[in-house]
Amino acid sequence: MDIHELKRQSDLSYDTAVAKRNALEKATSRLVVVYNEHIFRADPQTICLVRTLKESHNNFCVLDTNNNPVEITAPDEFLSILLERNQESLNAYNQIYKTFARKDT
Amino acid sequence: MSHLMSKGVLLFCFDTEHTRYHKILEHCVRLVKKNICKDITVVTNFNTYQKMSPMGFINYRFIEPELGNKHNGRAWNNVDRHMAYELSPYETTLVMDIDYFCFTDNLAQLFNTNYDFLVSDTAYDLTGENAFDQRRWSMIPMVWATVLLFKKNNRVRKLFDTVKYIKQHYQYFTEMYRIYAKNLRNDYLFAMALQQINGFMGYEKLPFVLPTLPPNCEVVKITDEGLAWKYKDQISYVENQDVHVLNKEVANV
Repeated sequence: MDIHELKRQSDLSYDTAVAKRNALEKATSRLVVVYNEHIFRADPQTICLVRTLKESHNNFCVLDTNNNPVEITAPDEFLSILLERNQESLNAYNQIYKTFARKDT
Repeated sequence: MSHLMSKGVLLFCFDTEHTRYHKILEHCVRLVKKNICKDITVVTNFNTYQKMSPMGFINYRFIEPELGNKHNGRAWNNVDRHMAYELSPYETTLVMDIDYFCFTDNLAQLFNTNYDFLVSDTAYDLTGENAFDQRRWSMIPMVWATVLLFKKNNRVRKLFDTVKYIKQHYQYFTEMYRIYAKNLRNDYLFAMALQQINGFMGYEKLPFVLPTLPPNCEVVKITDEGLAWKYKDQISYVENQDVHVLNKEVANV
């Protein structure tokens, strides 16, 4: 048992955990999107809500990040923007995440 | 286009005996022009202005900073933020600390919202040590006045008037709200003013936490994409993520 190797592994794990946390925070910040002069998060909850409402309504109301109601009159456009931002953010996170995996091996 | 129909960024910058804030400004302006917008107004004094390198087209407003505030025993000329409403030539203004480095365009989209005042209430410690999650003694939630977005209208003018009033009676208000800080901080001023002007109820906030490097992190490199810092003998970096740097030695990087 090499105690220095164990310490090195511990330091590496800490660095990776902090870097992963920062990368996730970066991804979360990138989920913020402005539409119809209101602020939304392109998170799974918003995407699922918009997609579900869109199935039966051409226009509907959703809440922005400050709980203000917003009428959505172009659901396809809104959903497209949400999906695009969501995947942009998560793809960037995925790229960073792969570098962590390489460091751990 | 009339300035009153415009959108822009307002920055405050005053050198002190110990810190060359104009060097921090030069980093900040470069990133704002790249990622946020080209319309920038810098509030400064003539002594600081004379030391600045050419930064392209910038609108300058000259004032003499109010002196007397200190941070870690050093002069800290940061108490003029309450004048942002009068000093801004824009209808919609993004006010930022010059040590907030925008490596993304995340803030740019906020110009297209209909909110008249937005501020963040959370800072995020990039070192992973949660240095900003300390026990809170105050009776009201704090805000981070590092980044403010405001539009000129009657309500926002009253908010800034309230900030001025609280600043005049700072000791009274800090004792009333149990804010145990010896120096004057814009964060506290705006937190108290927002509480007062919003009828002691909640208010609208920026949906961002502010990624922040505590004062004990030494920034070792800045590029147009990100920065690297040294903390406890380890080097870390972020790219394409905004960063608020609290260590003023960043002026020497």
